[in-house]
Order: sequence, then structure tokens, then C-alpha cells
Amino acid sequence: MRKLHTWAFCISFLCFSLSGFGQGNDKEELQPTVTLDTLKQKEKTPLSLRFGADLYRLTRSQFSDEYNGFEFVTDLRIRKKMFLALEIGNETITKQSEQVNFTTRGSYYKVGFDYNMYENWEGINNHVHLGVRIASSNHSHILNAYTLLDRTPFWPNFDEAVNTGFATGERSNLNAQWFEVVAGFKVELLSNIYLGLSLRLNRLLDYEKPENFDAVYIPGFNQKTDENKFGASFNYTLTYNIPFASKKK
Amino acid sequence: MSKTIFKYSLTTLFIFFFLNCEKDDICIQDIQETPDLILLMLDSEDNNTRKSPLGFRIRAIGTENILTQSNGDSIPLPLNTKEKITQFEFILNEGNDNENIDTLQINYQRIDQFINRACGYRANFILQKPSITLLNPGNDWIKGYIILKDTITDEKAAHLGILY
Repeated sequence: MRKLHTWAFCISFLCFSLSGFGQGNDKEELQPTVTLDTLKQKEKTPLSLRFGADLYRLTRSQFSDEYNGFEFVTDLRIRKKMFLALEIGNETITKQSEQVNFTTRGSYYKVGFDYNMYENWEGINNHVHLGVRIASSNHSHILNAYTLLDRTPFWPNFDEAVNTGFATGERSNLNAQWFEVVAGFKVELLSNIYLGLSLRLNRLLDYEKPENFDAVYIPGFNQKTDENKFGASFNYTLTYNIPFASKKK
Repeated sequence: MSKTIFKYSLTTLFIFFFLNCEKDDICIQDIQETPDLILLMLDSEDNNTRKSPLGFRIRAIGTENILTQSNGDSIPLPLNTKEKITQFEFILNEGNDNENIDTLQINYQRIDQFINRACGYRANFILQKPSITLLNPGNDWIKGYIILKDTITDEKAAHLGILY
């Protein structure tokens, strides 16, 4: 029974895609003969620009002394369901992570595509999207303090954190590149105002290891753990949409 | 379609959860800690002969903690990471009439090496010149010293030899 369903699903998918192809061909055939149709088609691909900010990063900056950051998000509709997406951000975070205390400061950008999978009713414009991003950051790590490993301490105050010396200080101009798979949704709250949430699974492609330290946090990528190239992050956005199509008449 | 998304989101969240409790958050026992200085007691006439002094004890200056006495001829000495020097009293014939105390100061520089987030850093030491200063000259039972290895990064080999 299950197999039957799977097959039915597969075949229906095929039929769907085939019928899609069929329609596409029809239009192409019709285009040269009926000139009016081309005009109509132009109206059908509504080019629109949406921009906004990540609310999570903004609120976190307000409530936490150890975090300061923002992220601007923008996307451009290039096909009915395809969006060119861009995120630009800056983060400064101070963290006590196990035995080390560090500050990471830097900027990042992410470029990619979103594909809207949601079948909207006429006049409604919501998104359930999947997407990919290529991201890059330029940042610096400042090692504030650390402890020395000794399981059988002999001298007093051994476990006192070290906050001076040559090992502490800034490692600047570090780079990281990674790849993101994005899943999220956007809901049109008011006309042209969207609230969106997206979850991101990140995979590091390349990163610079700071001297005598590790890339413990990468702006935009989020926390990086040892010997692990995967990470995760999310954003919660409020965006405004400027439709261009209406102007084009 | 939204169900698929929901599953994706859940998976992502789970991965995120697992990422937060990885093995690197625990400092495992196999990781080598800050090394001690390994000292050898050597014969002053023949630098290659190891010799165990009688009634011998080492006392650290600046702490009440007592050094664990090792039975072998190599003695591990913990160096103070808060200072660039550590002073020890080398006591010969302890408790007897001919008790002889030589106070030695070990001079070094500390270099910290990153292990990982969970373990923090490990202190390594480089012996400076002079590596040992005798603080109470006169009636010395210690005749001199030899440097066997001037960088202290592990406890596999001896770093200093004390001649007497």
C-alpha cells in the first residue's frame, strides 16, 4: 500500500512537471503570434524588492551587555517563486566558553537564493521557502582571559584566570567562508509588511585559524565547535516590500 | 509542503542541540596538562651517574603545600605559573646535626599553548640564563647544574641535572 502511494506520488510529480513543460512550450509558441501576450507576461513576473532587519539580533543587543549586532536583510524577486537574497550583518560578542573568555568582532555577508514553495491563493502573498547561501565573514578574535590546565595544582591561585601575557590579545583580519541551507517562512502581516523566521544549517568551507587559539565564534555563522564544520543559526525578520511591477505600465 | 518544512526545522533544531553538547566541552583525561620540571640528582664527578642523596627533601618556598617525594632519582618540581621564578630549599641530611640547606631559584619564562576551549591553555616553560641561582652561598653541598633540555613542554625527559 505504501509503495503504491509512493509510486502514485512519483508519477503525479512527473505528470505535473510534464504538464508544466507543456504549458511553457505553448506560451513560447504563442508569443510571436500574439504581441499583446508578451505585455501581459511582463506583468506576471512581479519584480519586487523587500528589505528589513533581523529583530532577534536587535533585541539581543538591547538586552545583553555581551552582545551587539545587527543584520540587514533584503531580497529581490526575480521569478514568480525565485528570490535573490542578501544579508549583511555585524556582530560583537563577548563570551566565556569553558576555559577561555574571548570577544569576537566582525562583519559578514550572505548571498543566495530562496525558492518559495507555498501555493498562495489569489491576492495572498505568504512564503514557505527553502534556500541556499554562500557566506563570508571578516572578523577578529580578542582573547581576554584563560585558565591553565593543571589537574593537581600545587601553587596557590593556580586556577586564577590569566589575563595578561603574550597569549592574550587580538588576532585580527581573520576570514571564514561557509555555505548555508535555509528553511523558513514569511507572513504578510499588513500590506507589504512581512514577518519572517528562518532556520539555517551552516557548513564551513574554509576558515583561518587564529594563532595559538581557535576560531571559536564566527559572526553570522554562530558558535563553532572543535573539529566540527557544522553550525546553526536563525533570524527573525521584519521586512517591507516595494513592488516595482505596479510602476511598470 | 509545510509538513516537510516543519520536519526540516525540527532536524535543524536537533542538530543545533547536539552541537551544543559535544565532546569538546569536556576536557578529557588523556590531554597533557602543564608539565613539571624534571630534575635529576647527579654525581658531580661523573655527570652521567645518577645518585640519590641521603635524608634528602625539597621544600617549596611560598606555599605550605608539601611536595610529593618521589622514590626514583628524577624529581618532578611544579613551577609557579604566576611568577617567573620559583624557589626551593634543597635539604640534605634533614633533621641531623650536619643538616645542609641550599636555596635554589629557578629562572624561566612561561609560554602558554592553546589546547582547546574545554581544557584552556597549557603552560610551557623555557629555562633562562642562568637557569639556577644559588641564594645562600657558602657551605654548599650542590656543586652545580647542567641543562639537559631547556624547553619544558612535557615530562618525558629530564630538564635539569643537579650536581653534588
